[in-house]
Amino acid sequence: MSASRSANAVITNAFGNNAAFTCRTLNLDIPVIDIGTFPADPVAANSLQGIKRQQTNPKRWNEPVWGEFVLALRVSDVEIIEQKFVSGTFATDAGGTAYGMPHGVVIAKDAAQISTLLQAAQQYKVPVTVRGGGLTTEGESVAFGGVLLDMTGMSRVLKIDAENLSVRTQAGIFWHSLAEALRRQNLDYLSAPLNMTSSVGGTLGVGGIDVNSARLGCSADQAIALQVVTPTGEIVECSDSENSELFQRVILGYGQFGVITEATLKVRPYTPLAMHYFYYTSLSEAIADLQMLDANDVSDYSGILTMMDKVVNLLVAFDSDQRETAFKTDWLHRLRGHGEFGIALKMALYYAVHPWRWREALFLRERKNTLFPEFRRPEHMRNGKVVDRTVVFSRAVWKHWGSRQMVIPDLATSPEKFIDTVQKANLVCKKYFPHYTLYCVGIKLRADHAPHYEMSCIPPDAVTHAYGCEFEPMMGDLNADAMYSRDTLQSFKNEIYDIGVAVGASYYRFGGMMKGYIRRVFGDAVVDKHLAMKRKADPNMILNRDVIF
Amino acid sequence: MRNVDVIIVGASLAAAAAAKRLTDAGLETIILERKELPRHKICSGILSPRGHRFLLENFGPLPREVLHDPTWCRGVTFHFPSMVSMSLDFFGGSTPHLHRKYSDYWAIQRSGAEVHDQTSFVGLSEENDHIIVNARQHGEDIQYRARHVIGADGPSSPVIRAIYPDYPEQIPWFFVGQKFHGIIDCPLDHEYFHFFFNPNLGHYTWSHARDGQQIVGVGFKSGDNFDAKHKNVVRYLEEKHGVKLDPHTSHEGCAENFGPSLINRYVFGKGNVLITGQAAGFLNIIAEGMSCALHSGAISGEAIVEARLRNRPVQEVYRKMIASEVRRTTDQWNPLKVAFGMPHEADFRAALMKLSWAERRLVVQDIWKFIVLYKEFKWGRQIVQSALGRLSNGSYTQQRWI
Repeated sequence: MSASRSANAVITNAFGNNAAFTCRTLNLDIPVIDIGTFPADPVAANSLQGIKRQQTNPKRWNEPVWGEFVLALRVSDVEIIEQKFVSGTFATDAGGTAYGMPHGVVIAKDAAQISTLLQAAQQYKVPVTVRGGGLTTEGESVAFGGVLLDMTGMSRVLKIDAENLSVRTQAGIFWHSLAEALRRQNLDYLSAPLNMTSSVGGTLGVGGIDVNSARLGCSADQAIALQVVTPTGEIVECSDSENSELFQRVILGYGQFGVITEATLKVRPYTPLAMHYFYYTSLSEAIADLQMLDANDVSDYSGILTMMDKVVNLLVAFDSDQRETAFKTDWLHRLRGHGEFGIALKMALYYAVHPWRWREALFLRERKNTLFPEFRRPEHMRNGKVVDRTVVFSRAVWKHWGSRQMVIPDLATSPEKFIDTVQKANLVCKKYFPHYTLYCVGIKLRADHAPHYEMSCIPPDAVTHAYGCEFEPMMGDLNADAMYSRDTLQSFKNEIYDIGVAVGASYYRFGGMMKGYIRRVFGDAVVDKHLAMKRKADPNMILNRDVIF
Repeated sequence: MRNVDVIIVGASLAAAAAAKRLTDAGLETIILERKELPRHKICSGILSPRGHRFLLENFGPLPREVLHDPTWCRGVTFHFPSMVSMSLDFFGGSTPHLHRKYSDYWAIQRSGAEVHDQTSFVGLSEENDHIIVNARQHGEDIQYRARHVIGADGPSSPVIRAIYPDYPEQIPWFFVGQKFHGIIDCPLDHEYFHFFFNPNLGHYTWSHARDGQQIVGVGFKSGDNFDAKHKNVVRYLEEKHGVKLDPHTSHEGCAENFGPSLINRYVFGKGNVLITGQAAGFLNIIAEGMSCALHSGAISGEAIVEARLRNRPVQEVYRKMIASEVRRTTDQWNPLKVAFGMPHEADFRAALMKLSWAERRLVVQDIWKFIVLYKEFKWGRQIVQSALGRLSNGSYTQQRWI
């Protein structure tokens, strides 16, 4: 399409007069690109080999139809906030590398309102970006123009069924609010992401990994049924038995096939947990032990949290005394990790012969002093057991891991490839950042949910378990010395993601700024299949436009 | 008086990148451009692969109109006086041969910022927490009031002169000119950018194909005679490389601030005025300035966004964030990095290893003779100091930045 336009804008000059100013557009053939497709590159066939020619930092949607669209919404009684200071609060997400300003914000009220919104959006071809807790890291919940739908308006727990162990909740609720409601009836969720201010709907759309995922699967697999508003505005109830195809697409679907408005989740009786920590100096040993525990279903909770690759902490926890006793008699002696005293001694010896690394030693000591008490704060302990892992983990992890800006590239692989992949990525972390942490955890897969897993964070070659590792640089607080350009952070993430392409992994956060990797890692056939489904479900590609395609 | 968040001076690639970051974050941004857009720009147009990727990821796929013919460049060929030549292919394949007149205009349009062309920056003054920018538009004075100003106005930057009037006297200036010739016979491979390590020709001598013509360019210390220098290069190309050219049909030239990247002496501005792109001193080896202009421009925009979010002084944020781009650019000139690292987007060492031992010796000798040409600028000690500092601290010192 040849864009030859000329528009007159009026500006005020120094004398307060209106001077006509002409914004000319010359005959530049700026191609209009169908979402999800790639035009031929006019440069050369061999340029930027392997990198898809995709704009990952999207151009802002800005069409004159907006005014008409807003009027239509107002007539239908959908409130839309257009003030810049409101839009401005949604300008970026937790990742802080993508910025975008919505034209207007709609606070979710109920499914009917969202249905009206999406129908109008289809009619006027206005993009709608859905946001829960805004904890995406690649701009997936940033609206590059159009409407931002803030789901936190729908945050009520609708029904707790203590008998059948399930809960029906609105999907904009944060996990910690849900946990609070459940605890009043002595219940607990199965698994939730460590950052508890993520929303239930957002989590079901991407995964949700907890330290018990090796046993209970990812959060998305706990969903029994969902109420979804499709991109064309129908309100549909779906589950494994009802509208199962939609259910398969929406679970782990990165928001492409509908807005989750309500969810029925499995829950379980609440239990305090007995925690054990083992410390390693070798990443591969710690991972091998973690995988041994998971493969034999030894523990109820297991995961790895590290301080660089120097002190690797394997966390093992139990819901019941029987399982804890069984672990102590049958498995404890097989673990190669040390206790707190053992690791302190080992590190003291290490730094005695590596005195030039004194800065690192000081850092580790300081980390130990601030971090260890956090995990056993007296108000969260009863009889040596953690009574509120929700609070303990989300508080400690988000206070002491990473920074205000979440930069957490990750890799998800089959168990066999995991150690090698983590070691490669660990070297990348070292190259970029002096201080970083890793978080590794297993994810049990459901054989009956295989269709859910296609083109998701679950790697295609994983059968019974998958393993995920997050790589999180510690960039300090607001006034930290270290401030990184987005290019540095993006280069770091690219290097981690390149390992994923090389080993055939998947990623938890592959959308938004990293969507160039989707075709590289899943292949054109799978992506095109999903693109065709998306086009059918969302003819004008209005819903979460810049996330995947 | 127009009251905006940011005024960007210059409508170049650095400006487009900065504007993109600012407008994305919802900051009202106006770009001032002295000329009428689209404007001509003197440039080889050979963008590095990293710059190409930046354009794609931030502005979308390139339209054909923003490219010259040939649309691509495969790599660089170095020619030495000892008649050894070596070709280096860019990592990741061919890179674009940008038509700067249109590529810059395209990027500026895609950035989403408002552009006031035919508007010359005249000066600025601080007023509380704002900056008053004085400009001339269609012969009339015009004022803007902005929270921040970004100077992305090239080597002889009026914004720098407004805040550091004596800066231009502190650095050596070069003149770089190119003439366009019809081709009778040109054995130089048109897929490559050709660079001549020859101290007798000039400080920077190159040739490449564009739109059916051959460019012959030469850079030298300001004050020398362009025509004489150029004639000398044409004669050399004909005698030594068999290049037969018609007399030139057109010519162009401009002043260049070559040097700050070598010695880590960048200018990043003062207070709420940021300097970026080649104005700040960014120039890759083989004098490619576009990819670091794009990245440093983006960082200047990011710095303003971050500074406002975190309520920190913008200079502090900018200087912390720009360190990565300084490392990337100055590493390219760092002898330790060149010898033991891989700072460039092509593999010099691998190309060298393809030569025979005798040829390698000649190449090293010729490069040394070429470096000696730069002796008068007394950069040697500063380069060694920077290189050692980089080795021990992992970064270049900020003390030398202006």
